[in-house]
Amino acid sequence: MNKTFISFIVFVGGLLVFHNVVFPIFTPKEPGMILNRYVYFLLIVAYLIIVNIALRLKPPISLNATVVWSLGFYFYKFILYPPVPWTLFITYMMLWSIGTFLYISQDPETFREFRKPIAKTIVGEYKLARIVIFTLLPVLVGFGTYKAIYPTFQEPVELRTVHPAPPATTKVHGKNYVLESARNPYRVDEQDNYKDSFPFLDADKNEYMKNVTEGGTVFFQNCHYCHGDQLNGLGMFSHVFNPTPANFIDPGTIAMLRESFLFWRVSKGGPGLPNESTPWSSAMPPWEEHLKTEEIWKVILFEYWYTGWHPRTFDTEESYIGQFEKEGKKPGAH
Amino acid sequence: MNKILTIKLSRLFFMSALLIAVSIPATLFAAPQPPDAVKKDLLDKGKKVYYKRCVWCHGVEGGGDGPSADRLFTRPRNFIQGTFKIRRTDSGELPLEEDLITTVKNGLPGSAMPAWGEFLKEDEIIAVVNFVKTLVQDRSFDDTDEEVNIQEFGSNPWGTKGPYHLGIPQEDIDAGKEIFIKNKCFECHGGEGRGDGNPTMKDDWGFPIVAADWQQCWNFRGSRRQAFDPFNVVRTVSTGLNGTPMPNFKDQITVEDRWKLAAFVNSLCPRKNIDPLANKPVSDFLISSKFTEGKVATSIADPMWQSPDADPKIKAWPEEMKDNPKKHYIAMSGQITRGKRNFDPKADNLWVSSRWSSEENAVYYLLEYHIRFLSSDPEYPDAVAMQWPAHLQDLFGAEKPYFIFGDSKKPVDVWRASFLAKDYNPTNAPNPEGYKLDIKVDEFNGRGFDALTPKEHAPTVEVVDSIFHQGRVKVLLKRSLTNENKETDVQIPSEQFIPVSFLQWAGADKEKDEHMALSTWFYTILEPPLPKSLYYMPPIMAFVFIGLQGWLVWMTKRTRKMYDEGKVKRDIIPK
Repeated sequence: MNKTFISFIVFVGGLLVFHNVVFPIFTPKEPGMILNRYVYFLLIVAYLIIVNIALRLKPPISLNATVVWSLGFYFYKFILYPPVPWTLFITYMMLWSIGTFLYISQDPETFREFRKPIAKTIVGEYKLARIVIFTLLPVLVGFGTYKAIYPTFQEPVELRTVHPAPPATTKVHGKNYVLESARNPYRVDEQDNYKDSFPFLDADKNEYMKNVTEGGTVFFQNCHYCHGDQLNGLGMFSHVFNPTPANFIDPGTIAMLRESFLFWRVSKGGPGLPNESTPWSSAMPPWEEHLKTEEIWKVILFEYWYTGWHPRTFDTEESYIGQFEKEGKKPGAH
Repeated sequence: MNKILTIKLSRLFFMSALLIAVSIPATLFAAPQPPDAVKKDLLDKGKKVYYKRCVWCHGVEGGGDGPSADRLFTRPRNFIQGTFKIRRTDSGELPLEEDLITTVKNGLPGSAMPAWGEFLKEDEIIAVVNFVKTLVQDRSFDDTDEEVNIQEFGSNPWGTKGPYHLGIPQEDIDAGKEIFIKNKCFECHGGEGRGDGNPTMKDDWGFPIVAADWQQCWNFRGSRRQAFDPFNVVRTVSTGLNGTPMPNFKDQITVEDRWKLAAFVNSLCPRKNIDPLANKPVSDFLISSKFTEGKVATSIADPMWQSPDADPKIKAWPEEMKDNPKKHYIAMSGQITRGKRNFDPKADNLWVSSRWSSEENAVYYLLEYHIRFLSSDPEYPDAVAMQWPAHLQDLFGAEKPYFIFGDSKKPVDVWRASFLAKDYNPTNAPNPEGYKLDIKVDEFNGRGFDALTPKEHAPTVEVVDSIFHQGRVKVLLKRSLTNENKETDVQIPSEQFIPVSFLQWAGADKEKDEHMALSTWFYTILEPPLPKSLYYMPPIMAFVFIGLQGWLVWMTKRTRKMYDEGKVKRDIIPK
């Protein structure tokens, strides 16, 4: 049998087996060693080199070029992780194609050898190949034209700012709050002291848990529909809305925001957002319409207690504890 | 040393033989066994989890009366009586610990109970389940008189695979339908399974309850996040749902027949791509309006308007429907933002298909949604509406009016079809003919959720056909693309993305004004007709390419000839 043909079979068959059998082993469902995919790729390359050398196949330069080019395609399409966008893929493949061409044309001999089968196909020395290629290509061109002309519509992409810059002050229930200095009046103690306390059961034993319980009660009567029983933004109505409700478990939301920012967002809701945050489709109510000021602060207290996050503070201030400051005690001295 | 090992091995062998001997008959003959006793050592941990995560709905004593309970439909479970819906044990019996763990892990789709499997650790889930067992007061998991019989369900006879479980033979589905009729499932679940059979049902605690809508299987409480798996139906039919009017059919229907019944129930549920996080179908955010040659049919029954609910990418459509518009899935929720809020909407989705005709200069929208029971109170009619930006030309970029009836700067144009069904009574037997609707359209502009103004000019939107059939409302709306009321009416251009949203009022729930169900903004586009060039350009390009190939052959041959005749020298490779 023709050695070139064997080499071709080694490549196509090997790639099929590797891709369908070995690849899943290297890419388990649970994210593990992400580098494994690259080890897998090196294995394919090693397999091809070793088999070709061991069997002394000496494939012609045209087949080598095809293999090199295809491996590049395979790498960018399936191996590279996370997957690159389509435009970037095209750019990478252009570079890869240029590289492959440089490899072919490294000296006139290899270049001539590379051209030889192509010229033979064109003039008809490889009859079957000519028939197949010369019928297939026009069909592909026709099909490509059809795809290009066929009108398709995809909804426009909409970008939005998730955490817009807050205003300097906000007026809630007739009272003005300066966001930079506004404090949660119910944060009277270090939150971590209560992480093992029970809402309801400990509510009459201490003030802090009483406020957490009341805040939780407000949350589970009003907020859980969107923000979820787990505060992860997956409430029973969350899938309906776009933008999707905030996930408080995520380190990118309440964990990096100040309580006064939350107070402003909760009080003014969607309609209080600037235009870059798409106020027209936010389902967040301006809660000042439904809740009292105290209830808003308590629900914020609850959200931090439940998730275990601490509100963000400025570097210059110590973690503040509103009530203690007022009483002239040092923060944290309890 | 060896001796000890031998003794140990033989003991091990003896123990496992004993275990097998005990467990085989237990599974084969489903002998009664005591319920899984409470694991006392886990209770401290379980209590911690319960009072942090569960108490808000299920209440301090597990009575299903936490702060959220009154605003939920279905209400949270009351644990006190030990009544658990999703089990593998006989009707009326306590569940297995494994059943409760699976419930906590997967949540109860269609209710507020979320899936805790990705949130809590395995040991926390086992602990909290054991704590919940101690909240049962009227009976006890430690009671020696209690017994549970684990049911045998057999296995999926067709070996179908998730997520969509397609490929069950039609004759089994048809046989399932016979079983459905014979056992009178329609009395509660309705003639086509939309849960529209009985409006008066109550659960064990006297709260109103409705039968499952089989065409929305992602809301099956026991679906275990595998919406299309027929096993869920087999289990429910075999064990019943404790605390609800759903009985068990263990003795009436053989296991084989229960699988066929399940196949029928499942075949009704449209195959849609289910979002694994929300456990609901993914909304079709672009509603494309199909260009129609000539006139659009004005009857909902016309073949032009028949499209399957299933996604054609998942389940192929019949040939004769290939060119019909797709039914777009629109997720709905209660309006829980402004004014009088609606925490328990009666429709949680809506299906929209659309056609337009340049000959008629008109666009048609067919709105469909499931609702179990209609209102018969003229003061609270049922209604469904489409909401548009009234001044499309004033919107810049992604800008839209506020999604609840617009805002002061950007008004909306609302087309609302309000209706009462003729000769309808919620307690009527299933009516295969459906009910004609006494329907009228009111058009109004909104400049805020509390600022609605009826239009003064003559109506422009027309209901060309409508029906209420077996728990599903269908309304076909028509409007001209443009008209002279530029101030109040949306002017609909073709080939442009136009924001649109949907509103729905359930009269039986006394919904009115902003007390409604709604969707977020979607986009609609009037698709242009397929360009004529689609038919001639591809062959032209192919022929041009064939010409190119011919030229290439000619060129290559000529070069060869010139080499052979010595007219041109081949490039010489330096040695």
